[in-house]
Amino acid sequence: MNKRYDIVPGLFWIGLSIFAMAGSYKLELGDFRDPGAGLMPFLIGAVLFLVSLPIVLKPIFKLKIRNEIPKKTDSGKIDLVKVVSVSGSLFAYCFLLQKLGYLITTTSLLIFLLKTASPRKWRFVIIGSVLTVIVTYLGFTFLGLRFPRGVWGVR
Amino acid sequence: MDLFGGLLSGFQVVLQPANFLYCFVGVFIGTLIGVLPGIGPIGAMSILLPTTFGVSPVSAIIMLAGIYYGAMYGGSTTSILVNIPGESASVVTCLDGYQMARSGRAGPALGISAFGSFIGGTFSIIALMFVANPLASVALKFGPPEYFSLMCLCLTILIYLAKGSVIKAVIMGLFGLLLSTVGLDLTTGKPRFAFSAATLFDGIGIVPLVMGLFGISEVLTNIEGPLERIIFKSSIKNILPNLDDWKRSAGPITRGSVLGFLLGILPGGGSITSSFVSYTVEKKVSKHPEEFGKGAIEGVAGPETTNNAAAGGAFVPLLVLGIPPNAVMAVLLGALIIQGVAPGPTLINDHPDIFWGVIASMYVGNIMLLVLNLPLIGMWIKVLKVPYGILMPLILLFCLIGAYSLNNNIYDVVIMVIFGIVGYILRKFEYEEAPLVLAFILGPIMETAFRRSLIMSNGKFSIFWTRPISAACLIIAVLLFISTGLSIYRKTKPKMTE
Repeated sequence: MNKRYDIVPGLFWIGLSIFAMAGSYKLELGDFRDPGAGLMPFLIGAVLFLVSLPIVLKPIFKLKIRNEIPKKTDSGKIDLVKVVSVSGSLFAYCFLLQKLGYLITTTSLLIFLLKTASPRKWRFVIIGSVLTVIVTYLGFTFLGLRFPRGVWGVR
Repeated sequence: MDLFGGLLSGFQVVLQPANFLYCFVGVFIGTLIGVLPGIGPIGAMSILLPTTFGVSPVSAIIMLAGIYYGAMYGGSTTSILVNIPGESASVVTCLDGYQMARSGRAGPALGISAFGSFIGGTFSIIALMFVANPLASVALKFGPPEYFSLMCLCLTILIYLAKGSVIKAVIMGLFGLLLSTVGLDLTTGKPRFAFSAATLFDGIGIVPLVMGLFGISEVLTNIEGPLERIIFKSSIKNILPNLDDWKRSAGPITRGSVLGFLLGILPGGGSITSSFVSYTVEKKVSKHPEEFGKGAIEGVAGPETTNNAAAGGAFVPLLVLGIPPNAVMAVLLGALIIQGVAPGPTLINDHPDIFWGVIASMYVGNIMLLVLNLPLIGMWIKVLKVPYGILMPLILLFCLIGAYSLNNNIYDVVIMVIFGIVGYILRKFEYEEAPLVLAFILGPIMETAFRRSLIMSNGKFSIFWTRPISAACLIIAVLLFISTGLSIYRKTKPKMTE
């Protein structure tokens, strides 16, 4: 990642450190004789703030600590659409698992992932997904795992 | 219990049918995930961690440890045949292993890698046996200040050895410490940063965190590029190295065993760093350094021996001090804590079955691995041909089920997915996850030691430098920081004067 982009995480760390310090202050810091619940996170937040400053200040003052070459993937191109769609599908899975149950949600997720990963025939994708879900369902139920039932009463 | 009595009892534990089976499952899965690029030992261990909840602590640790050192064996196969390291400790094996395969010597490369791994692994177990007891007696004298300073030193060494930017490694350590404070405060019972969410009252779970950072984010990183890989087509024959190969490899294997064990003990040293150090050492001492990178067998034998020896060495601080030297050991520590076992100087006396059982399982596991990796090499090559497009959904599915199975709680899955995305973003900005995980695990122990020390000393920080062991740890930590600072300053100075 190019140096100038470091400012974004740098600002995030500073924000996080301020949040941590404010949150721990509310928790009661206590004193060194009798440390309160907030003392340790406050100290961590304070050090994080100090350490994050150079990351933000470096690009502003154009101090290059290391010669970093922007890196690319082997193909030279990042397929962000794939990354975002897979991440989104995982969140959707979390949301739908309780509502639709394991069998329906997991089959849908596997179909989506197999189609997203590489172009394959629908027949392979559907049969593969259904079989995987059945095998994992039976296997994990045997191990004692209770999957969510879902609104239709299907696990 | 004396050394040989302990080892004998360890063999009695591991040779019980259930433990023997768990040992085999562990090394088999380890080899499998070592062979498969796209998932490392940490990801596999965290995915399989929930499956160990129903078994005895000793069986669980035997299996998880088997995954770790099994992955070290399997990782070399992809490095040699595909030029893609199955896991990060085998990166350096690609340099000469793949060149050997290209020149029709894939067999000896795989063979010496398996034999070297066996010798390095066995050496480190023997050394672990001899080192553990004396070190444990010293560690029994440790109080809270010593523990706090030792953990500060561990984190400092980890940061010092960071692959990339030191500042980023420090930030990751601090982020890990901050995350470890989420949940109920152990002393006062006050919820910290839990946002009234019941799931967060017990803190962020180690398993969802590690699965997200290493499992999910690894998949997200892999799918951003092309998913196909080319397997080197060559018939593998003469897997047993010839006399000349053995002559050339004897030195690297001997040096690699010692070096790997010592570097494995160091926090942050681990298998990755040690394999690179071994390669550099071998190239320097070699009479033919020009052959390195073109298929020198020393370039395979040294690093492969070293990474297995380091895997054994890493168990020393975990089992004896209760301090994990790397992220893999942090997962093992998490597994022990979940099982209600507190590793530390008293482990050898309190749970001799676990200590000696794990050690004996490594002997048995190493023999199993030799059998799995030499006669069955053809099977692993077939596994290599499974397309990543099929593996990826399966890895994700096992992560999802694994996280859910912890407490039958969907929020554990949500936490895992969030940390998966966080891990992916961190990788993009070149932040390493290892200091985060280690600090996250050490955080609660460190905080308790810190607070107890202050209460003991009536609020005086001098307690940390008036006690010799604590002071020594802190002095080394400070020296390492100064050395790092000087190194950064030297690199910055010319730029500033420009």
